[in-house]
Amino acid sequence: MPEKTSLDLDSDPRSIIGIREFDAPRELVFSCWADAKHHTQWWGPNGFTTTTSSFDFRQGGIWRFVMHGPDGRDYQNRITFDEIVPPQRIVYRHGGGADVEPVRFTQIVLFEDIGGDLGGRTRLTWRADFPTAAERDRVIKEYGADKGVVECMARFAEFVASQASR
Amino acid sequence: MVQLSLDATFSALADPTRRAILARLALGETSVTDLAKPFAMSMPAVSKHLKVLERAGLITRGREAQWRPCRIEPQALKVIDDWLGDYRRFFDESFDRLDAYLKTLQAKEAAAPNKDTPHKDSDDARKN
Repeated sequence: MPEKTSLDLDSDPRSIIGIREFDAPRELVFSCWADAKHHTQWWGPNGFTTTTSSFDFRQGGIWRFVMHGPDGRDYQNRITFDEIVPPQRIVYRHGGGADVEPVRFTQIVLFEDIGGDLGGRTRLTWRADFPTAAERDRVIKEYGADKGVVECMARFAEFVASQASR
Repeated sequence: MVQLSLDATFSALADPTRRAILARLALGETSVTDLAKPFAMSMPAVSKHLKVLERAGLITRGREAQWRPCRIEPQALKVIDDWLGDYRRFFDESFDRLDAYLKTLQAKEAAAPNKDTPHKDSDDARKN
């Protein structure tokens, strides 16, 4: 089983599905999402750090944080948890600061225990579901078709900030 | 000018025959007749696939009356690739970091099993 899996666009044309496996029990992997103290240790691409101002990990709860980019820019983020089923499932929407237009797609995270008797292995599925074609078009126009790749990267956290929902 | 639409592009790419047609066109522009050869399907069926690809902006077709060559349009793929590149980067790099962090946690846990482990945090979160 490969350590990394490429993003799957074929299984469902409205979704983007990524799968990773971790050599750790499901409870532990889940807990890395369930507590800001852990979450901020790994969230974001290389070079990004995260400062959390509030973290309310329950259905309808909101996580507010700032991502500090490698270019020195700060990006306001807001994640709303729509569904939490420990230790199996988290559904969230990702909005930015108040001025960032919301509604992108719903992000679903699934945690599967694949450790067998040893119980030390977890498959994580990270799946983006787009609600409508129009929404998907908007994402690509605003965040994909934009300028050069470099600028795209710089704006990436903003994109992440605006990933989600209404 | 074809409006680039991620939805249309994804739909177009979701079909294996259309992906095969694109792979063939990546080698150079080709007539519909030549494109149809490797596939066990009628010309109208191939034309239908070409229309989908054309609408998605993935190919264009020459206006030269007789053989209307098809050619691949890299721009549509590039738009997807750029966007997915960012998305993939977030996915890959975040989860690389998560992987490393999990190893750190497990090492700590092994060293001091009764300390404040993430298991406990997760239980706390559940009670909220």
